[in-house]
Amino acid sequence: MIKVRALNKAFGGLRAVRDLSFEALPRCVTSIIGPNGAGKSTAFNLIAGTLQPDSGTVELDGRDITGRAPFALARLGVARSFQITNLFFGLSTFENVRLACQSLERRSSYLVRLDRLARPQACARAILAEFGLQERANELVGNLSHGDQRRVEIAVCMALRPRLLMLDEPTQGMSPSETAEFDALIKSLTGRATILLIEHDVDLVMSLSDHVIVMHQGEKLFEGTPDRVRASPLVREAYLGVDHAAV
Amino acid sequence: MLQPSIPPVEPRPSLNTAAKLNVGDRLLRALYPPRANAWQLRWLGFAMLVLAAIFPWLGGPFYTRLAIESFLFGATALSVDILLGYAGLLSLGQAAYFGLAAYISALMYLHVTQSFWLVLVAVVTAVAVFSLVLGAVAIRAKGVYFALITFGAAEILSKIAHNTRAIGGSDGLIGIPVPRITLLPGVTIDLQNNFVFYYAVLGVLVLIYIGTRRILDSGFGAVLRAIRDNSDRVPYLGYNSFWYKLLAYIMAAQVAAVGGLIYPLLRGFVAPHLFGFEVSTKAVVMSLVGGVGTLLGPLAGSVIVTFLESAVGSYTERHLLVLGVIFIVFVMFLPDGLIGLARRLSASRGKAAP
Ligand SMILES: Nc1ncnc2c1ncn2[C@@H]1O[C@H](COP(=O)(O)OP(=O)(O)OP(=O)(O)O)[C@@H](O)[C@H]1O
Ligand SMILES: [Mg+2]
Repeated sequence: MIKVRALNKAFGGLRAVRDLSFEALPRCVTSIIGPNGAGKSTAFNLIAGTLQPDSGTVELDGRDITGRAPFALARLGVARSFQITNLFFGLSTFENVRLACQSLERRSSYLVRLDRLARPQACARAILAEFGLQERANELVGNLSHGDQRRVEIAVCMALRPRLLMLDEPTQGMSPSETAEFDALIKSLTGRATILLIEHDVDLVMSLSDHVIVMHQGEKLFEGTPDRVRASPLVREAYLGVDHAAV
Repeated sequence: MLQPSIPPVEPRPSLNTAAKLNVGDRLLRALYPPRANAWQLRWLGFAMLVLAAIFPWLGGPFYTRLAIESFLFGATALSVDILLGYAGLLSLGQAAYFGLAAYISALMYLHVTQSFWLVLVAVVTAVAVFSLVLGAVAIRAKGVYFALITFGAAEILSKIAHNTRAIGGSDGLIGIPVPRITLLPGVTIDLQNNFVFYYAVLGVLVLIYIGTRRILDSGFGAVLRAIRDNSDRVPYLGYNSFWYKLLAYIMAAQVAAVGGLIYPLLRGFVAPHLFGFEVSTKAVVMSLVGGVGTLLGPLAGSVIVTFLESAVGSYTERHLLVLGVIFIVFVMFLPDGLIGLARRLSASRGKAAP
């Protein structure tokens, strides 16, 4: 489904992603974990077209999509969320989701009056209901709680009917109780798309993932099933190393 | 087992906003407040239309012609609002299209034809081509560079007009004949008559306003508003922002050109200053005074600023200074313009008497 080969990206002298290769199987959840600064988000940016890789390739369903623009990737079915909430804060929740739905419509319908452009509205209502956001429909996204904003991020992604769903720390900045609620939400998405997940919540990662990739200082340190990752002394050492440094 | 050793995630700043904004962004943000209620705008528009309809009977010929001029600059102000209020693009060069249309129109009446419709076709075509090319360049530049490029392009046109003897140089072109406009076979519009001229221009302005409103009240307009709100996010929904901005830019150019198309018929001359910074900034100030993002506000703003300038003009030569003061006062105290003020007043009254 998604195949990454020998991806490299350096910021000045800092090699944020080094020779990263992995594959994510269709309809499976592949998680990327690793300490802060490991290069996880950079890897996402390279796959989703936010950044151009220095070298390496990205393939989606056998098609080379390396370096394509984000809008082109979105049309191919790549939807991503952002580590730092990135939405239309000055627009309503409904409009945020409706805009995502609208992008699936033919461009020739774009001069139809907005209130007659019915399908995106119906689509947005359905998505809001699914994500428990109906009550927030008319509120500006900028006024929502952090938890609800994170929810809208995922709702927007799902409104795009993605083949590849990329979630960058969806539970970032949430309280433990919010996180628990969110785990269930993310679980409900499995099987609906191929999912790439960056997450610090190890419980969530272990219970959800079919495959886990551990990154450390830009490199893939280890990959395997959750159980094998849990058992790996290499992985534990990498994390412990970080812990010591932090003390 | 692994869990305890995972380093805790430090909380990151939520809501990106304040921290990252530079001065330009701050100004832009002040310049586009949330949109007014549709029904409030409808009432306001209706009131403005009634006032405009009876004005020539109250005003006398001088003020009637001044009002016509304010409508022509109103189109340019509206064009600023299409860009700033919808696409989040601050153009400091809408005078380029006002001037381009004015010169083409003047030259054609002087040397080529007396047919308004032929002139119209020529202006629309020239403006479309010019705005396509300039827009494609300017839109690729981000933020303040867009403003600088549009500003620079208008200045270049102004200098060209200034230095080209064939089109009158610094004196411009004078003695432009006023054509008879054949609306339908047998129905002509006689622009020598102030009343006819006034209502014709008012009609054109109303049509442009309704047309603009209608075009922007669509999926296309919705994408523009998304671009204004957070242009970085738009591509991830599958929209190529470039085309939306470019279409908005071309549309705004055509609207700005309407003012220039008619201006020579009102004043009988064109001069390089029509391309100038004063016309461009005046359009921005008008839009700001009325309320950016409302489409209606800029039209009100253009009338207010034009009449204010005329009134102040009888005391002092310093138009630009007055314009500058108005600009500063509105950016600092009324960033959402008069329509925003009206909205807040009606909101607070609504709260007082539920
Ligand atoms: N645009 C950029 N310019 C310069 N350096 C960058 C840029 N983006 C990331 N980096 C650096 O690259 C390294 C990897 O960053 P990245 O955001 O990919 O880490 P991460 O694994 O997502 O970490 P976290 O868990 O904190 O989100 C970091 O050292 C970071 O400072
Ligand atoms: Mg990250």
